[in-house]
Amino acid sequence: MKKEKITNGMILAIAVNLVYTKGIGVTQGIIARQVGNDMWIATALSILQGIILVWVTISIIRRIPQYNIIEQTEVMLGSLIAKLVAIVIFLFFVGAYATVLITYVYHIKDYFSPDSSILLPVVVGLIVGIYGTYKGIEVVSRFAIMGLMSILLFNVLIILGSLKDFDIKEILPIFTNGLGKNIEASIHYNTDWAMVTMVAAILYPLVNDQKTWFKSGVTGIVFGGLTVLIWPILETGVLSPEVTGQYIVSCMQLARAAEIGDFIHRYEMIMVALFSISLYVQIMVILYTASLTVAPVFKLKDIRPLIIPIGIILSAFGYWIIFNNVRAMTFLTYYWPPIAMSIAVGLPVLIFILGFFFKEKLQQTKANLPQEEQNI
Amino acid sequence: MQDKINDLLQLPIERSLKKNIEIIEQIIENNVDIVKREFVFHGPIDISGVVFYTDGLVNVQLIDSEILKPLMIYSSQIREQDNTQVTHFLAENIKNHLILNTAVKFVTKISDALENILSGDTLVLLDFCDQGFIASTKGWDARSVGEAETETVVRGPRDGFTESIRTNTALVRRRIRDPYLRMEAMKIGEKSKTDVHIAYVKGIVKDGIVNEVRERLQKIKIDLVLESGYIEELIRDAPNSPFSTIQSTERPDKVAAALYEGRVAIFVDNTPFVLLVPTFFWQYIQASDDYYSSFWTGSFFRLIRYIAFLISLTLPSLYVLIVSFHQEMIPTTLALTIAAGRDVSPFPALIEALVMEISFELIREAGLRIPKPIGQTVSIIGSLVIGQAAVQAGFVSPSILIIVAITGISSFAIPNYATSFALRLVRFPLLIASGTLGLMGFGAVFVMITIHVLSLRSFGEPYTAPLFPLKPSDQKDIIIRAPWWKMQKRPQMVDDNPNRSESGIKPEPPKANSGESDTDKKSNDNKNNDNNKNNQSNEKGRKVKQKRTWRK
Repeated sequence: MKKEKITNGMILAIAVNLVYTKGIGVTQGIIARQVGNDMWIATALSILQGIILVWVTISIIRRIPQYNIIEQTEVMLGSLIAKLVAIVIFLFFVGAYATVLITYVYHIKDYFSPDSSILLPVVVGLIVGIYGTYKGIEVVSRFAIMGLMSILLFNVLIILGSLKDFDIKEILPIFTNGLGKNIEASIHYNTDWAMVTMVAAILYPLVNDQKTWFKSGVTGIVFGGLTVLIWPILETGVLSPEVTGQYIVSCMQLARAAEIGDFIHRYEMIMVALFSISLYVQIMVILYTASLTVAPVFKLKDIRPLIIPIGIILSAFGYWIIFNNVRAMTFLTYYWPPIAMSIAVGLPVLIFILGFFFKEKLQQTKANLPQEEQNI
Repeated sequence: MQDKINDLLQLPIERSLKKNIEIIEQIIENNVDIVKREFVFHGPIDISGVVFYTDGLVNVQLIDSEILKPLMIYSSQIREQDNTQVTHFLAENIKNHLILNTAVKFVTKISDALENILSGDTLVLLDFCDQGFIASTKGWDARSVGEAETETVVRGPRDGFTESIRTNTALVRRRIRDPYLRMEAMKIGEKSKTDVHIAYVKGIVKDGIVNEVRERLQKIKIDLVLESGYIEELIRDAPNSPFSTIQSTERPDKVAAALYEGRVAIFVDNTPFVLLVPTFFWQYIQASDDYYSSFWTGSFFRLIRYIAFLISLTLPSLYVLIVSFHQEMIPTTLALTIAAGRDVSPFPALIEALVMEISFELIREAGLRIPKPIGQTVSIIGSLVIGQAAVQAGFVSPSILIIVAITGISSFAIPNYATSFALRLVRFPLLIASGTLGLMGFGAVFVMITIHVLSLRSFGEPYTAPLFPLKPSDQKDIIIRAPWWKMQKRPQMVDDNPNRSESGIKPEPPKANSGESDTDKKSNDNKNNDNNKNNQSNEKGRKVKQKRTWRK
């Protein structure tokens, strides 16, 4: 399989799409239940933490820009540990895919097709995901740029539709729960950043022009964060934090409340159409990255034979999680944050520190790479 | 039998005319359209000769006046110059001094001789001469240059390509008097030996693209090429895709413009459709008029075409999914109207839409195939089926009728037939998915179509460029058409020479002072200039006069 390359703009678009769909609705509902009208503060704090997380990840990859986090582990600690790291990252993607499915399926089930079986959206998502992943990361990245445009349009529509009902009093007073509680609640949005971190750890070697990696990474987080930050502010000001906390998919409630003029009073379908692009980008990127993670375990250079089996594994676990509403929300609120954070923070930090001990080995490997590979 | 002819074709032209004639006659057998005319060349000695040509493909007057007459009547001129025996030297002399034809060449193989005869050239063979003369005498009845029927414009040139490759290249050459314009010739088709030319502007096009085009064309192994569609299908990047990644056009102005955007044109003989590569998706929505009318008009109608594109692709599907699954999305009054209309129809919305769409395609196809004199019949039947009668009979609801009509009209607003066809094709899976799975199905199929389009490439260039991947400087001619003076740069695909001109494209208007119009100022300036010139010349005259007086 030809090694694909993507641009910094493309990875930026992927990052924004990854933090958006779950971040604006499902995550905000959970945060609202914990910190009420401070939900936007918790989200903002999470954005700052996201910047640090991505900075650490990019710093790791820049040591040998051609190698992802698993390949660098192999250089430092050998293939067995690298395989172990690959499996751990794969397990992270299994969980992350389940959270994406929660967002996707509950949107469909709760608002558009309440009578349809849960299996149907899972299978449809899998088919579309497999198709996109087969086309490669370059195509998925282009689609992510389209997703980015749709996110911007979606935000403009929601601002236009809900500004007239916005009440600033709902946001005030701020910090009612104190800083500590807000930081604690920010962990839920951190799980969305965790997805970006893990994807970055695997995909950054495919990104051209390593000099602008930091810039694109940080810009992606700030941009993505801002597109999401508008939602907790609107949800608090329009729906109130109490109402936001009542719903699994609180963004849909906001979208339903939005109306432009007298005639366009139910345009949530247009919004969901725009939003679904971003959702499918998430599905494809996770499927692609999970396949890329597992490929070295099976000593495969081409990920295509892995896409279908891995898609089935991810979807099967996701289906088991979302089959029961209570199980899904328990997983999302209580189990997923510690799992995601320990992998997405623990692993990069550990490898970042190990890099200082194995500096010479890494530098030697980098020096031994062919010249053309070094000049990416 | 085939092998025998193949063996004969490989033979060289012999010194014996009789043998050469025998070989050719064995190959052509009893072909009535290949004419043999024997004559005697009164050279140093009397030599027998023969001409072969294909009746209908040649201009007989040319053969008479430029070949036979000089060879038979003016041959004495050669005798005076040359008394040697019949050799290659004589052949050269005949070519240089006798045959009046503008393009004469020698052939030494029977296969080459035959190929030229069948292309409309004339073969001249002389006894004792082991090579033949080929004179260009092509001349057959061809359609004259007329309006491009599939790409009509309100404003713009009316000439369109014809079936003659030479006329077509001339139509482009007339527009581009640039020595950097290159036309390379090749023949494709083992049996048809169809003339194919590739045209590009050196220094504008990337060398890689020209090489890729050349290489793909050279690799084609097919017996017959009857239309550029054959070539298009064989050199496409994604042959299984319903979307065409090679643009075809009947308009020489479109080809000329494309060449200066760094693209390559492929001319194929016997068809008025010229291929342009690489092609980007957005180019199918652009029409020649966009560039000839004001940029406001061009941009507006381009936007209308984009809307038509979206309607053509999605309207029936959106109607079906809203009516079948998400009625709450429609404003109440409209929902009641649609519901009242649907009362008469016994079928679900999906079936209604499918039947109407298929009926529409049926009428369109029949309208295309039917002989012109009875074309009106189809119109009448069409208006009966897709019309009030279908509603009154209770087969369909009035709303689906309007949806199908708008969709049909929108599909015809797209300037390129291939794209409009591709849209009609992908509309069906979208419709079925929307009718069975609602918004989820529509979203899924729409995303798959989008992913498919994003994955396409045309001769190595991304099909959806310059929007995906984004090339900011190229956005001036994608969704809208920016004014010409804003499009100083050529598209990024151009190799070097990225600017259309060194200085600005647009001349600056004169700077006005208060109290006088710009043109007044210009006239005054001109007058002042004239006065100054007059004064200067008067002064000069006076000086000359003074000089003369002084001399006197």
